[in-house]
Amino acid sequence: MFGAGAMTNSIPEIRDADLLFVIGSNTTEAHPIIAMEMKRAVQRGARLIVADPRKIWLSEVADLHLQLRPGTDVWLLNAIAHVILAEGLEDRAFIAAHTERFEDVRAAVADYTPEGAEAVTGVPAEHIRQAARLYATTKKAGIYYTLGITEHTHGTDNVYCLANLVLMTGHLGVRSAGMNPLRGQNNVQGANDAGASPIYYPGYQKVSDPASRAKFEAAWGVPLSPDEGMNLNVMMKAMERGEIKGLFVMGEDIVLSEPNVSLVEEGLNQVEFLVVQDIFLNETCRFADVVLPAACFAEKDGVFTNTDRRVQRVRKAVEPPGQARADWEILCDLARAAGYPMPHYESPAEIYAELSSLVPNYGGISHARIDAEGGLQWPCPSPDHPGTATLHQGGPIKGRASFQAVAYRPSDELPDEDYPLVLSTGRTLYHYNAATQTRRDSGPTMKQPESFVEVHPSDARRLSLEDGEWVRVSSRRGEVGARVVVTRKMRPGCIWMPLHFAEERVNRLTNDAGDSVTGTGEYKVCAARIHKDALRAAK
Amino acid sequence: MPITVHIDGQPALAEPGETVLDVARRVGADVPTLCHDPRLEPAGACRSCLVEIVGQRRLQPACAFRATDGMQVTTDSERVRRHRQVLMSLYLADQALDDDGLPPETIDGNQLRALALRSGPLLDLPPVQAPRQARPHDDNPYVGFDPDRCILCARCVRYCDEVEAVSAITLSERGAHTTIGTNGMVGLKDTTCELCGGCIATCPTGAMYEKKAPRLLAEPVQKVRSTCNFCGVGCQVDLNVSGGRVVKVTSPPPGQTVNDGNLCVKGRFAYDFIHHEDRLTEPLVRGPDGQLHPTTWPDALQRAAQGLRRVEKKWGSRALGFVSSSRCTGEENYLVQKLARAAFGTNNCHQCAAT
Repeated sequence: MFGAGAMTNSIPEIRDADLLFVIGSNTTEAHPIIAMEMKRAVQRGARLIVADPRKIWLSEVADLHLQLRPGTDVWLLNAIAHVILAEGLEDRAFIAAHTERFEDVRAAVADYTPEGAEAVTGVPAEHIRQAARLYATTKKAGIYYTLGITEHTHGTDNVYCLANLVLMTGHLGVRSAGMNPLRGQNNVQGANDAGASPIYYPGYQKVSDPASRAKFEAAWGVPLSPDEGMNLNVMMKAMERGEIKGLFVMGEDIVLSEPNVSLVEEGLNQVEFLVVQDIFLNETCRFADVVLPAACFAEKDGVFTNTDRRVQRVRKAVEPPGQARADWEILCDLARAAGYPMPHYESPAEIYAELSSLVPNYGGISHARIDAEGGLQWPCPSPDHPGTATLHQGGPIKGRASFQAVAYRPSDELPDEDYPLVLSTGRTLYHYNAATQTRRDSGPTMKQPESFVEVHPSDARRLSLEDGEWVRVSSRRGEVGARVVVTRKMRPGCIWMPLHFAEERVNRLTNDAGDSVTGTGEYKVCAARIHKDALRAAK
Repeated sequence: MPITVHIDGQPALAEPGETVLDVARRVGADVPTLCHDPRLEPAGACRSCLVEIVGQRRLQPACAFRATDGMQVTTDSERVRRHRQVLMSLYLADQALDDDGLPPETIDGNQLRALALRSGPLLDLPPVQAPRQARPHDDNPYVGFDPDRCILCARCVRYCDEVEAVSAITLSERGAHTTIGTNGMVGLKDTTCELCGGCIATCPTGAMYEKKAPRLLAEPVQKVRSTCNFCGVGCQVDLNVSGGRVVKVTSPPPGQTVNDGNLCVKGRFAYDFIHHEDRLTEPLVRGPDGQLHPTTWPDALQRAAQGLRRVEKKWGSRALGFVSSSRCTGEENYLVQKLARAAFGTNNCHQCAAT
């Protein structure tokens, strides 16, 4: 957006913020330690605006809770922009100096009145006005978001809307402000940075750019394909169509974590060859031709890059079990077995040195430096560079940042007579994704032993559901069981389920319609219904 | 405007609003504390940091007393030493002691024991039979509480209020019965507790302890600094290793890393997967019977490479896909995309979190 795909600011800056705008992030559950920083800011007197369809923990201590209908983020955010512009609260100097196409957005949001937004989003117009005024008139105002923004078919649009707010208020390049996607996994940032992407080499250098391609061809000594690859969402569909015939999967249980998993399973039945590399015999291994046992994080060296672009060390503390080996060792041997002369790296430090030599922004980062100084935040172009806590100080990295006019599009699948409820899915505090790790520990299992579905009391009454009753939840793609939790946390008409439980895989239900740019699946909105479990009731 | 404070006769610059303890520690004065945690509001509860300040009739707690310009502080005098001696004697009279007559050592280091050891000969006070109670039926799997080791400094309670902000535990009962309780003395799993374990980490005496970790080992644990493998915050952890196993996970001290001494339930406690019996320990290949069978590394690697090559020959490199992982290291992600691009000629390479 502004020239770097990452948090613009840093975690330690959060406690000094004067306003936090948290949208699509249940921070206390998904990023508990960042939530502690937010709590500290609020205790200090910072104002807090939470936009979330559920009454999450943070909404209880928020100044404003904008409890929007799932999937109506664009309407809400455009209406906030509308108020800022209608009341003249924009930062004209910043807009003139650092941005372009502002007028596009002014025109685009003209019709998004707070009253119109109230009708679509369910958020009172007055709350939208208050949020707009608070956000625009506070200097140290930071936006924090995560998958509640991105896991939609209009996820990229949502991000554009947030960026528009940041740009029109000049909340960029300022400590404790900015635009901050909270990365969900330990090394999402680092995996993207390292080039695990169909369109980018390491460091976001485009595969379609001949100069970048020439650079990597020279470094790796082979000609490289100029064609952009498939993203994961497209890959899964191509597999089902028979266009992907061979798959290598490292450290992910795609049968649990991808949307519409029934289709993924059909695809895996068709592939001719599947290699899985993991620490457990996960569900995807059922389809594998070869399973390679890997070391976990405590058994190997390397780096993870966290959500604020901080490259930090992972250190080997214990030996892997049996014959399991570190992923990096396996990958090198696999490449050589396939006839590619992968260098004989002595250690991950050498691999990192190769990576950083190819990416100017990481050029100053090395294992030796991290060992001596602690984590380093990119950009860090040279060994004497201290790293960068706050991006875009002195203007956006890419020169002028562009506003993006966005029009509201409804979610791909809306509730109807057959499937009258809106289902959203997500993570809880006690488990982690496919839960192959957390379900092997007693605490999470005690707190949350089995899958559940959160239902508003009015829906529960209408459907004659009891709190604690075991029910079936279904969508057009499948059906799973879950225990009913009746709670006012939900909006009427909306239900919510965790993604963690292998025996009741909620991704049988979710919609695999992907965002047009990123391919991210619409995990946050699909049409569903709940019915009684006749079989269980009979038992 | 900086102010000047004299610590044991040495002038030191300080910012207005800093406490005497902040300044004293910065210039290297050795002021002991038990109830102090830089993440919490000063409580002045444990009295171990009392110092002499010119113009103050009584000794004052350095942790809670604000420094002012020209202040003269003495951190180590006969009066201060005598105070500590009496204080330690009182504390120990109210503690379960080991064979050395000291508060028992713990895996994380018992700060009360350390302070008692350096406080000189203690007074011979009759033991107090404190009737403090633990919660009788708390079957939560992680957080234990041993009232005999508690000094009621309330660091745990204040952490739960001020940092984790869930207020699950509280000082309850009155007088000699005062203890760390919950509302109605129910178990932690029936409270707002999120099992972050911050109470264990901040406890100076090991009264709050991790149930599934050893409370003390014959050999000191080896701490290996690493990065938590759950969410994207990047908390720094110390893997506590003993006998080739991770026996506990702790945070580096507050103020040093992005997590400021904090961890959540997953980072602190969900480490059992590391040594779990379900871990894969040998390469497997699918046999003619349709089942997975153990094999050697060379065989597994050969089959994996040949299988992928076969698909490439038959269908072209566009028919191959490589799914990397945001759970793995940066180096490993680099290698997967290099494997896909350089070894197999395809850009069909992505990872699980396309966000």
